Amino acid sequence: MPSQFKYGMDQDYWDWSPIVSRPVLHWPGGARLAVCFLVDLGHYEWAPPPGAFDPPTHVPPHSLNPYPDYVTVTFREYGHRIGIFRMMEVLDQHGVKATVPMDAHTAEHYPELVDACIERDWELIGHGVTQRQAITSLMSEEEERIYIGTSIDALRRAAGKAPVGWLGPEHSQSARTPSILAEFGIRYCCDFPNDEQPYRIKTPTGELYALPCMIEIGDTIGHYNRKLPLPRWVQMVKETFDVMVDDAAQTGLLLAFRLHPWCTGQPCRIKSLEEIVAHMAQRPGAWLATGSEIIDWYRRQPHARGAACEDAGSN
Amino acid sequence: MIPLHRRFDYLPWNDRPRIRWPQNARVAFWVVPNVEYYEYLPPAGGGPQQRGHDNPDFPAPNIPVFVRRDYGNRVGFWRMAKVLDKYRIRCTVNINLALLDHFPEERDAMVERGWDFCCHGMYNTRAAPKGMTPEQQRSFVRNCIALFKRATGKQLKGFNVLSRATEELPDILAEEGIVYHADYLHDDQPTPINVTRGKLVSIPYGGETNDSVMTSRNRPWELDTLFDMVRDAFDRLYAEGADNGTVLCLALHPWCSGYPYRIRDLERILDYVMSHDGVWQATADEIAEHYIAHHYDEAVAKIAQLKSAREQRSARRNS
Repeated sequence: MPSQFKYGMDQDYWDWSPIVSRPVLHWPGGARLAVCFLVDLGHYEWAPPPGAFDPPTHVPPHSLNPYPDYVTVTFREYGHRIGIFRMMEVLDQHGVKATVPMDAHTAEHYPELVDACIERDWELIGHGVTQRQAITSLMSEEEERIYIGTSIDALRRAAGKAPVGWLGPEHSQSARTPSILAEFGIRYCCDFPNDEQPYRIKTPTGELYALPCMIEIGDTIGHYNRKLPLPRWVQMVKETFDVMVDDAAQTGLLLAFRLHPWCTGQPCRIKSLEEIVAHMAQRPGAWLATGSEIIDWYRRQPHARGAACEDAGSN
Repeated sequence: MIPLHRRFDYLPWNDRPRIRWPQNARVAFWVVPNVEYYEYLPPAGGGPQQRGHDNPDFPAPNIPVFVRRDYGNRVGFWRMAKVLDKYRIRCTVNINLALLDHFPEERDAMVERGWDFCCHGMYNTRAAPKGMTPEQQRSFVRNCIALFKRATGKQLKGFNVLSRATEELPDILAEEGIVYHADYLHDDQPTPINVTRGKLVSIPYGGETNDSVMTSRNRPWELDTLFDMVRDAFDRLYAEGADNGTVLCLALHPWCSGYPYRIRDLERILDYVMSHDGVWQATADEIAEHYIAHHYDEAVAKIAQLKSAREQRSARRNS
């Protein structure tokens, strides 16, 4: 046993950095809170190929039904067919440009959805191959490279532009993932819900930032999985937003809000999204932006550069 | 056999043909009491769903689960029927076919009301047709059709077996003359289901607007929450239905909604929906037949057009 443990994190991807000790972060136009809507378009397949890592949250008993699971598969498909269009209508009304984690299966097999996102100037970001094939440390480095390359390539071919953002299926990673993402040109990653500001992820392969999402209030975790009544969820989201706008009088904060069209796009829930977006849009101080707008701004701030300088000195 | 991933084709909401319901209604509203028989000593192998939602690991007889289901038939059903009658609801009963023989009084009460029926398996405690060979599935489907005909004098038109559905089932259903398959939660409209022979359509079932989904499996909700959900869902589908007819399903269970403390909320739900003009309160048989007669071909043509556009686009990308 060492007489004293090493200061800071037990890994090198990001530094220990209590939010109270950071320089002040300013958003454009004097905004207090950057808000990013992450609208997932992930495909849920009938059966992942042999050897794929199907996240434990997708297999019985969580999904409840043995193969072929008509209930779960068709319920997810609802988001692609109908739910997303309802959400687009609501977000369009308030001029919100969403950031869309889109997996390779969706990009390849649902070009109409790619078009609908591009028409709105929404940003597509990598989201793996499918939602039932996650990244895992059980993959070899080569397998992981192919996986990430396939995900990014599918988006590049479907949208004519390579993605610069990433959200893994179920936030899955190996210990190599950030470096491989940076190597493939990814500039920000939403997998780590551990902060209320972006921060630098240190990799030897490229300039990578974290865009942490507020996972607790997302539609699946905040409402669906926890079985909270909808009005309670709406209240939770509004309260998060209000508290963060207040707190951000001191320094700029980030609220990245995750939504799933198969869940929030249901006719019984869309009114809740209307309430939430209307609430956010009416209060001054919020900057509703896409992931890359936020990161492009952030990386030019002294805040980001300062943190990078501290990195160099702290070892 | 059509593989699972080709069972239905993509048809985005923003680009599909218009459905018009009879009398220019906006929403087709189908109400589905699940009238179920849970066996006292079910055979092994039913799977967790079939063994009962609340205490899946109780060895049979699983009294805490099954006796509550029995309450549904002895008491709850009759209380529910009174409320359904008040609004002249013509139900589509998700029926465990064995019940028609076990409980002829309940069968007659449903038949006399002119309700339609959708096959919900023989018993709710059996996994069939899951776990069967295609040949066994075919004879299972034939048995269901024959049993239903003997018990009611009617032709069986639909199947809803959800987690018990198999890969082959839709092909077999279409070949045996079944018209609709209600195991899909992927849409708010009927859609074609691809089958090897004949025609089969999906009628959207109530995956969420469902009393047991709201209240069983230790969920902390009650039917007042279901009322809110149905109201919000209806309002949205009603608004959208002005341009393109939609479907709202209300799935019910006598062992759930038939309790005294829930029945008034069920009444509020029916009262809300039925107080609107432009609601086509129909059975799944009627919705399916209307769709096949007026909209099926249009949907198939649109799907083919979208598919060919997708193929051209993919060819351009790869060239």
